[in-house]
Amino acid sequence: MSKIATIAKLGVAGAFMLALAPAQAADPIKVGVVTPLSGTYAPIGKQVRWGAELVVKEINAAGGVNGRPFELLFEDEEANPPVAVRKAEKLLQQDKVDLLTGTVNSGSTLAVGQVAERNDRILVTTVSYAPSITGAQCSANVFRVNANAYMQSNALTSWLIKNAPGKRYFFIGPDYEMGRSTTSAFQNDVKRLGGTDVGATFPPLGAKDFTPYIGQIRAAHPDVIMTATAGNDTVRLLTQLKEYGILTDKLTLAGAAGAVTQENLGAMGGAGEGFLSAAGYSIDIDTPANKKFVSMFKKEFQHDPDLFAADTYGLFYLFKQAIEKAASTDTGRVRAAMEDATWQTPQGTKKIRKGDHQAVVDMVIVKVKGNDFQTVGKVPGEEAVGPDDCQKF
Amino acid sequence: MLQAQQQAQTTDIESRPAGTVAGRLLRAVRSGGSNSTLLRQIALVSLLLAAIFPLFGGSFFTRLAIEALLFGCIALSVDILLGYAGLLSLGQAAYFGLAAYVAALMYLHVTQSFWLVLLTASASVGVFSFLLGAVAIRAKGVYFALITFGVAEILSKITHNTRAIGGSDGLIGIPVPSIRLLPGLEIEFANNYVFYYLVLGTVCLLYLGTRRILNTAFGSVLRAIRDNSDRVPYLGYNPFWYKLLAYVMAAQIAAFGGLIYPLLRGFVAPHLFGFEVSTKAVVMSLVGGVGTLIGPLMGSVIITFLESVVGSYTERHLILLGIIFIVFVMFLPDGLCGLAQRTFGAGRKVKP
Repeated sequence: MSKIATIAKLGVAGAFMLALAPAQAADPIKVGVVTPLSGTYAPIGKQVRWGAELVVKEINAAGGVNGRPFELLFEDEEANPPVAVRKAEKLLQQDKVDLLTGTVNSGSTLAVGQVAERNDRILVTTVSYAPSITGAQCSANVFRVNANAYMQSNALTSWLIKNAPGKRYFFIGPDYEMGRSTTSAFQNDVKRLGGTDVGATFPPLGAKDFTPYIGQIRAAHPDVIMTATAGNDTVRLLTQLKEYGILTDKLTLAGAAGAVTQENLGAMGGAGEGFLSAAGYSIDIDTPANKKFVSMFKKEFQHDPDLFAADTYGLFYLFKQAIEKAASTDTGRVRAAMEDATWQTPQGTKKIRKGDHQAVVDMVIVKVKGNDFQTVGKVPGEEAVGPDDCQKF
Repeated sequence: MLQAQQQAQTTDIESRPAGTVAGRLLRAVRSGGSNSTLLRQIALVSLLLAAIFPLFGGSFFTRLAIEALLFGCIALSVDILLGYAGLLSLGQAAYFGLAAYVAALMYLHVTQSFWLVLLTASASVGVFSFLLGAVAIRAKGVYFALITFGVAEILSKITHNTRAIGGSDGLIGIPVPSIRLLPGLEIEFANNYVFYYLVLGTVCLLYLGTRRILNTAFGSVLRAIRDNSDRVPYLGYNPFWYKLLAYVMAAQIAAFGGLIYPLLRGFVAPHLFGFEVSTKAVVMSLVGGVGTLIGPLMGSVIITFLESVVGSYTERHLILLGIIFIVFVMFLPDGLCGLAQRTFGAGRKVKP
């Protein structure tokens, strides 16, 4: 009995110490980063990780947030929602993180967002672009600071309609859910903005031979070809279009941000020349903030940053600003401070739209030139962001 | 001619007086040999450990343990097929995923009644496994494995590409329900400890039920099929129906795990049908001990916890899983239960 009493006393003493602990100034603000560190999406997870590590080092060196440093806790979610949810629960319930970020594929973001909601914490995605995250399936506990698919499509098509010669648009999408939905977004925007839809084709994902589709493309006499293919599919599509003589000076090539990337551009042997896409970030954005970010990033990791690193880097300044304004890490107060927040990032000024928690991001139009991407235009965030479809909060 | 004879013999056995069957059943259940004594002790110790676990676990580890038990159901179902009928299924996640999707869709669009959801999920898996089983078990060895693998992949792709059921994103927003056991007695899933003991209790019942069934003549025939399926017809048993029954039963057990999963995590995704889930279940049963029934459940708990802990320190946790698999295949093919048998059971073999 006396033993139990001793244990109880110790327990009470322990509870007191725990209660006193948060009062200490150096108590870190824990941010859980659930991101794919292995598997197909590992390269994206690596950029997210680097972006977070760089910004946390920088903020902590400058005195942290009201004297409190950020602490990062990484978990590998394997781009697999069941794994992501398990890891997120660990971060929330075991490690008691204050905020969550890092999810890449939209399935993981939606599922982890729900876990965040049920554990009364905030998740911010810096990568997922499915419109539903801040649309039909929005949550009061989920924010997005990167450009979504709607913004990419909207910005690209509105720029093309203004700048590309010719109004005849042809669409190519890999035959699966994501390919079809990206293509239909392009088609809707083109029609809405006054272009002509002259046809669409859906080769299977991983198609080796595009010959059967090329006849249809040629017969449609397009002025612009928009593609939603990715990786090696784009390599095969564009090289075969070139071999068949379809890629002429009169034709404009454009497509999803992931269609032509630094990774597959080299394999195209010039077939990707002139390819246009819209993104929330380009490494050559000519502002002092971006130049500083790029040079620090290169120095730290001997690697170029991409949009995932830039969006993640920028997010922590939003966290800093919101926690300082809320003077606490309490979820309700941080959320209130994040809603309607305007803050500075390497991409420029970003603003959170209160209605759906989507960041309003200026879009850049980038064009492939040789082995590089060049910024050729800009679409203001307010113009690209589109309507607020969130009805849950 | 031969087939007709077989069928006549099978019906002959099935039409024996119920008293004989019941007598046999009782004898089979009572006749716990030395092997099953140790397995029973292992099961008892595991149950005791599982029963006190939430005292130390905290909410995260308690919920992880629920997940381990649910995935343990797939491992248990792999073990019924592999350990008793000699069928290696690489697609047991199909039934886990199917039940999870049926349950999720029912909860989202049709009803909040747990019992109705249970019935629908169980019935859909029953019909599907009967139809698929009737085709798949005609194939032998690697072909059976390939068919089961293929069907699970097809289901995964269908869900992945069907927008109406969430596509690649899956479905979120499945409510945390309560079960109305009796009028006035509701059990809340929102309480992790209640949830845990409910799942633990049900998995125990599934384990005990499976053990009983497999200890009857039915189990003996399955083992005979595993050891030499060509001879079994000459003993008067038609292997087809026995294998099919085992297949449908295994599917039901995997389905139980699947139908609870959305209640635990609040969502379903095409990944639940995935090859990784199916193969991990095989590794789990191998680690615990194939043909022991309790082994796969232990294997699931061990692997789930190991992955969760190791995964926080390195992104190369899959290598660890690979090494475990290789070590067990090469040095401990009878799993941890076999190891226990050799250590405590004076060199007896575990497999009946």
